[in-house]
Amino acid sequence: MQQDKQTRGGARLGAGRKKGSSVYGETTKAIRVPESMIPEVKIMLSQRKLQSTELASVYRPDQQASSISIPLFSSKVSAGFPSPADDYIEKTLDLNDLLIQQPAATFFVRAEGESMLGAGIHPNDILVVDRSLTATVGKVVICALNGELTVKRLKSIGEEIILGAENPEYADIIVKQGVDMLIWGVVTNVIHPL
Amino acid sequence: MQTPLIALVDCNNFYVSCERVFRPDLINKPVAVLSNNDGCIVARSQEVKDLGIKMATPVYKVQHLIKRHKIQLFSSNYTLYADMSQRVMQCLEEFSPQVEVYSIDESFLDLTGLCANNSHHYGLGIRNKVYQSTGITVCVGMAQTKTLAKLANYAAKKWHKTGGVLDLSDPTRRNKLLKITPVDEIWGIGRQTAKRLHIMNIHTAYDLSIQQPETIQKQFNVVIARIVMELNGTSCLALEDIQADKQQIVCSRSFKRRLTDYPELSEALACFARTATEKLRKQKSVSSSITVFIRTNPHNPEEPNYQRSISSTLAHATNDTRQITRIAKRLLREIYKSGFRYQKLGLQLGHIQNKTTPNQSDLFSLIPEDNSEPLMQVMDKINRQFPKAIKLSAEGLTNTWHVPVEYLSQHYTTNWDELAVVKCC
Repeated sequence: MQQDKQTRGGARLGAGRKKGSSVYGETTKAIRVPESMIPEVKIMLSQRKLQSTELASVYRPDQQASSISIPLFSSKVSAGFPSPADDYIEKTLDLNDLLIQQPAATFFVRAEGESMLGAGIHPNDILVVDRSLTATVGKVVICALNGELTVKRLKSIGEEIILGAENPEYADIIVKQGVDMLIWGVVTNVIHPL
Repeated sequence: MQTPLIALVDCNNFYVSCERVFRPDLINKPVAVLSNNDGCIVARSQEVKDLGIKMATPVYKVQHLIKRHKIQLFSSNYTLYADMSQRVMQCLEEFSPQVEVYSIDESFLDLTGLCANNSHHYGLGIRNKVYQSTGITVCVGMAQTKTLAKLANYAAKKWHKTGGVLDLSDPTRRNKLLKITPVDEIWGIGRQTAKRLHIMNIHTAYDLSIQQPETIQKQFNVVIARIVMELNGTSCLALEDIQADKQQIVCSRSFKRRLTDYPELSEALACFARTATEKLRKQKSVSSSITVFIRTNPHNPEEPNYQRSISSTLAHATNDTRQITRIAKRLLREIYKSGFRYQKLGLQLGHIQNKTTPNQSDLFSLIPEDNSEPLMQVMDKINRQFPKAIKLSAEGLTNTWHVPVEYLSQHYTTNWDELAVVKCC
């Protein structure tokens, strides 16, 4: 047997490091390096070591947890007869899918006042605002007017910007050039409790 | 091989910018954000910087300027800043497959091969996207290495002509900047190192970049030698895509109202122990070294000064809130002296290791076979759903040590009751 032959020293089968088991993931070899280049080579090797040990992966932050999910289909199993509909369950509906396209750019704000009743915005409603959308004529926008966040319908963009109310009791606001105004975001949805 | 291109994206006056997003009336007005206990200024708008108020200035020292220039103060609203930070980082992911979140307001992006000839344009794209989505202004510094990218960012912030975006890949441009940058401004050069470099007649970043890395390594260490190589465009610091677990966890607070009694200090300490062990369990680690430190206000010459710290090493590493609280309280008992007005108290957990790492067992004690793990799991689960619902009685019920901060803004993005109000008028 193998073992009997090897009782007097010499190389043993399977002894020593496995091939390719070094920190670099392959076999290594001793070489002579000019002294001046030692730091450079060491740095190169340490990087190589990092590369072989670290798995490249894409960093993802936690997605915002969704709110309540409502099952599309649900049925109780009674007396051993499973509902035939169970096979058709596909997904649950998530309001976030409906209301939020760009999570990083979506903010909620609360409305105050009655100038936008015509657009369906009542006092105390929650507005879903997407900052990443471009404000175009006809959109309901949040703008910072004289330092105050205000909701208006953008009626025209030209030399003057016209911000319209949606309530006959309120006049439009004409913003001349040079007036302190910036568009903060575009309102995409209104959450209105009944 | 492609030339690497690393970008550092850094938010401008991040905490101040977060507050201004929801308070447009404060744009172009002086704004400062204060530290945890409203003690020092930790973030300044450009207007405040222009008044000559330095970072970490105690509020009481600049009270006259605050009044005269009507500086708007804010207590730090970390809930808001963390949410805004996450939004910014989410935007950045669109621009690079590899993003290293370096701190709450800066990230390294690997842009290698992504914007061949028009890096400036790409940088402006990043800047616009982040501003449009979040209202936060960022600066983008680009170069072959992290150290140079950091420097490019510093320059992009400092010189408005850059438009907030600067690519330092070009060697001529790089050297021009290195020559006018003090060596102290380089990322990774600390005050002591800078002092020694000055003695060696190395004053600018350029002076350092023309040194031989091996000479520097002999005189300093490999870290500084790497900086020299990085300044020459040889990348030595890789992007770390996964944040390493913390090696130590510190939980401390400066008290707005000085504390004198042991029971109050002990309740505060129990609260720190809860926070620290929660963090420990979140990264699935255990700790076997506990340090408690305490001090009076060292800057007040009229009061007796006292400061002590004390450590204890545990036979078994643990992350059990009960055990760590018990030991911390015992340690505090040993260093506490009555008759002093304490300003700061803290707890530090060290020797942190992965929970699965086999532990050398203590010869003289039996391995505790208790309910610790399931109990802590249940506690964490409940507290995740109902924040701070379950605590040890050691924390007390009143939290008298905690004086509410004065200038806290709303949690605009994380609490339905605190949304920003928009006017329909």
